Amino acid sequence: MDTYYAFMVDLSVVLAIVFVIIFLAVYYIYSRKSEIVNAADKVGYENPSQFMRDTLSNRPRFLSLSVFLNDDAKSIGIRYLMASIFFFFIAGTFGLTMRLNLTVPNPTLLSAEEYNVLMSEHATIMIYMWALGAAFAFAYYLLPSHLRVTRDSRGLYSSVGFWLWFVGGLLVLYSRTSARWYLYPPLSLQLTASGGGVYNWIDVIGLESVFFGIMITSLNVIMIIWKDRNPEIKWSGLTLFTWAILFTAIMIIASAPPIMVGLAMLFYDFFNPIFFTGASHEVLLFAILFWFWGHPIVYVAVIPYFGLMYEIIPKFTGKPIYSYSSGVIGLALLLVLSEFVWGHHLLNSGLGVGWVLFFSTASFAVVIPSAITVFNYVASLWEAEKVRLTTPMLFVINGVVDFIIGGITGVMQSNQGINQIVHGTYFVTGHFHFIFMGITTGISFAAFYMLFPTISNGRTYNVLLARIHFYLTAVGSLIMAGAWTLGGLIGMPRAVAGYASQFQFYQDVSILGGIIIGIGQLFFLYNIAISWTKEPSLKVGNALEEINPLEVSE
Amino acid sequence: MNPKTQKEFIFIGVVLAILVGSAVLNVLLVSDISDSVAQNDGAVPAGAYVVHVVGHQWSWDFYSPNGSLTVNTFTVPVNTQVALIVNSSDVIHDLAIPELGIQVYAVPGMNNTVVFEATHTGSFYFDCVEYCGELHYEMRGTLQVVSQ
Repeated sequence: MDTYYAFMVDLSVVLAIVFVIIFLAVYYIYSRKSEIVNAADKVGYENPSQFMRDTLSNRPRFLSLSVFLNDDAKSIGIRYLMASIFFFFIAGTFGLTMRLNLTVPNPTLLSAEEYNVLMSEHATIMIYMWALGAAFAFAYYLLPSHLRVTRDSRGLYSSVGFWLWFVGGLLVLYSRTSARWYLYPPLSLQLTASGGGVYNWIDVIGLESVFFGIMITSLNVIMIIWKDRNPEIKWSGLTLFTWAILFTAIMIIASAPPIMVGLAMLFYDFFNPIFFTGASHEVLLFAILFWFWGHPIVYVAVIPYFGLMYEIIPKFTGKPIYSYSSGVIGLALLLVLSEFVWGHHLLNSGLGVGWVLFFSTASFAVVIPSAITVFNYVASLWEAEKVRLTTPMLFVINGVVDFIIGGITGVMQSNQGINQIVHGTYFVTGHFHFIFMGITTGISFAAFYMLFPTISNGRTYNVLLARIHFYLTAVGSLIMAGAWTLGGLIGMPRAVAGYASQFQFYQDVSILGGIIIGIGQLFFLYNIAISWTKEPSLKVGNALEEINPLEVSE
Repeated sequence: MNPKTQKEFIFIGVVLAILVGSAVLNVLLVSDISDSVAQNDGAVPAGAYVVHVVGHQWSWDFYSPNGSLTVNTFTVPVNTQVALIVNSSDVIHDLAIPELGIQVYAVPGMNNTVVFEATHTGSFYFDCVEYCGELHYEMRGTLQVVSQ
């Protein structure tokens, strides 16, 4: 009894202290906040965070925790940037660990089970948390400037969207799923370590949360572009980046609902299997729902970056982009046509010749807008008298090259003869890593380097380290994805924890590429760290945020 | 039309010509190899050597026409039409024989049929290319093509 009594006293003292601390913190935050709200109200600001940003020169900074308390659009952008880079390094480490496990035909460091967890997590996190997260980061950060938004009124909704997305990502990580990002039932319904993972149901909840987050965010982004932009800016005066973000958001809202319903049905199937397994089952139905979203998402992961490339190129060529109207038309066609090709992920699944003819022909058609876009980039560089090869520009040029390789290897798969050889092999992995490394990741870094002076309050990054980061990333991904593509041509299967001995050469070369990429990212981290310790030396102001091309100092 | 737009239209014309050409070639190819495109309950040509394939976690079962079972290996005669009727007893698998250009999903509840003809003898590597759980990578083996 005595020990119980003593414990209760201790507990109440600890609780009392915790309550006092929480009370003081809340009191402090709210009293400060009400002062700011009053001050903002006097000068007609609806969002106090925007008031702080505009008048108190309290610019949202990278690596600052205050962006999680402020909810103006630029703070939300920095939130997304920090979160997506956090997830990028987690998923990247998973990817590198997977590579190291494939040095010899049989699993070495990890068991097959652990490998499958890393593979599923790598894909899910990279797509939803890195590719989409970084796209939203640049959208929120750049759109208020590109649209000269004067009234920032969507802070609460943006914050809700961010947290749903972020917590969803953490749940996906926690779930240790091994059902791959496709989540095909019946495998995803096997809640065992050798099937879809013991906690795979958490993955389904996490993904649903991610989807609600990105739906809210997409609606917000559309509303910012449609309603909040400065009335002086006509539709024809939108930047190409704004168009790209608008199309991306429309695509997410158009394609995500089927898989959100599909995930809910999948969750129900955990308790009462009636939809995708069991007596009245239609196993491929989930695959169809999934790819109806799954194919547009891979375009969602490139279209915003196409927009960023359109913004970055003129800054270093000193000339406007070759053709604004064909840029918009290209992106708009990409939005429409890419909704018609999702069936090409299921060409060999028994849905028959008619299915193959429709979707392979549609997959040839989707090349047209991509070709228009690439032509626009190449022509813009061609017409320029002088291209300044700064680090962001190098990333852009590498992105164009990688996109051409990735695009050609992509359209090759529309040919059914080739598809029956390379579907499900590393050829596919190589194809999309060219694009995800060259476009998604490379252009994110390009934009990050361009925004670095602003988001660090006027610091500059070390140019030499940034160059090393670029060359290692570019060369590493070329080696890695190239080896996969060649191996895939002779049938090297993907998503494997081990492989037949004839594929060892290709696997080992790709490991070399993976290690080079990994070392490159260490240079990036080191660069940020040492740049952060330097005193600010620049006036804050950034070319990527301005609508008209300006001189940029690297 | 200004010269910029003109250049763009020429480029788009060339791309379109290549794409239309490739798409037409693909349509011709598909109608030529339509037997080898996976089809649920597809037609089996008369006189074909029918192999029933069942994928399960984590090996392939092959039932030859006389009903005998082999695991992760099977034998077919050369220069004969071979029909694979592929099914799965648990999750989705995908049987791929890259050197023969054959690929067919094994889906529970579906009887996917492909027809092919091997033109020379030898052993051909095959594997599962749809991720199916822990030992997915061990679902591989060889197909023996022997003279009649």
